[in-house]
Amino acid sequence: MAFWQFTRLKFVYPVILLILFFLDGTLMSALGGYFTHFPFHILPMLTFVWLFFGIQFKVYQDIPFWWYVLLIGVMFDAYYTGIFGTYIIAFLLGTLIMKQLHYWLDERIIAGLLLLLIGIVVYLIITYFAGFIIGIANISLLNFLIYQLVPTVILNVFIGAIFYYPTWSFFQVLN
Amino acid sequence: MRRIFSSRSVVVAMVVFLVVVGLITGSNWFAKRTNTPPFLQRFSNDLAGGASRILAAPTNAIGRSANSIGNLLSTFEENKKLKSEVDQFAQDKVRLQTVEEENKSLKQQLKLKATLTDYQTVSAVTISRSPTTWQSQLVIDKGTNSGLKKGMPVLAGSGIIGRISEVNTTNAKVALISDTSDSANRFAITVKGDDGDVNGIVTSFNREKNQLIMGQVTSDNKIKKGDLIQTSGLGGVIPSGLFVGKVASVAKDDYGLTKKIYIEPAADLGNITTVMVAVSKMGDN
Repeated sequence: MAFWQFTRLKFVYPVILLILFFLDGTLMSALGGYFTHFPFHILPMLTFVWLFFGIQFKVYQDIPFWWYVLLIGVMFDAYYTGIFGTYIIAFLLGTLIMKQLHYWLDERIIAGLLLLLIGIVVYLIITYFAGFIIGIANISLLNFLIYQLVPTVILNVFIGAIFYYPTWSFFQVLN
Repeated sequence: MRRIFSSRSVVVAMVVFLVVVGLITGSNWFAKRTNTPPFLQRFSNDLAGGASRILAAPTNAIGRSANSIGNLLSTFEENKKLKSEVDQFAQDKVRLQTVEEENKSLKQQLKLKATLTDYQTVSAVTISRSPTTWQSQLVIDKGTNSGLKKGMPVLAGSGIIGRISEVNTTNAKVALISDTSDSANRFAITVKGDDGDVNGIVTSFNREKNQLIMGQVTSDNKIKKGDLIQTSGLGGVIPSGLFVGKVASVAKDDYGLTKKIYIEPAADLGNITTVMVAVSKMGDN
């Protein structure tokens, strides 16, 4: 394999996806004092933001995107929770809804961020209800919305906004 | 108008939903019953732990500097308060050493090898923390190769923060006490009240108040706000004498028959960079 192939999207996209998967966990640990400052519970969702970029910039058509989503879901469950199912479905459904709604929205950044917002809300709501299935949910829906969903959405949409144009240019270069 | 989902997608979605619910309940059931995960999961977790470790170094450094900036603002006030407390600690330390010596010689006279208060600690570094809605778990850099086992208590800062929930070869997961799953915080504790001890177990965690709950307390011994709570050692796996927290309030349960004690945990569950796993020596006997 020639060196130039390593700079192709097919190679770069999953590698960054994997790095962000670990970065989410280490960020949560390193900045835990801020992210879980009582009563807040904010989640860094860089992996999900990267998947959003994949959809928004139509990269998913050129790579085995859905296999990556599935794999990240399985890894997330194995490594972070130890219980399979929740994050597989959260990642799959979150990205699937973003992809379906992408037809309806235009290419402007604001439409893209709305897409990301909807994706994150779907993702978080799925994880919230999955907690009920195994009886570990110990927070009311209202508190979940105020202290977790809203700040998490704000943080990650903000991250999405900052990296929107750099990522777009990055994909242009790779293509 | 373009339809968002076709009818085929709806059927697929329903099947996927059923499979996933099955998966969640099945793997939850399986995880509770086994001490170590299946080989493939253990292997991939060890691999993932290695990758996390590489990334943890720079991110932890960023986290440390962010925390130091935050701490700097409250340093002056804190320093004044701490100085006054330090003198007291020096006295307590001397007293503790004398009592420990005495305790050791008395144990020898009684020919006791190890009791509930004897435990060793294994220090570990947090390499990751699950960015998840529930099951806030830490991944620490010690596993079966350092003698860790599922269920062992984990300490950080001033008190207990959780228990080991899964052990891989080179890393382990710690379920925090703020997690309501059965394996995380159901441990035996004692309230050191004025009238004597009150024994019980932690029954749940109130995430909205950030407090542990010790339910179904029937003892008439008086318990007041500020009373200290430690692990009682009953049950065997968790040694006795680990600091849990202080009584925040005492309330009647829903039926008015028993008491419910709210506990302010001693440890800060937000900032956990290094932890200690307490390994009871009782098993060596």
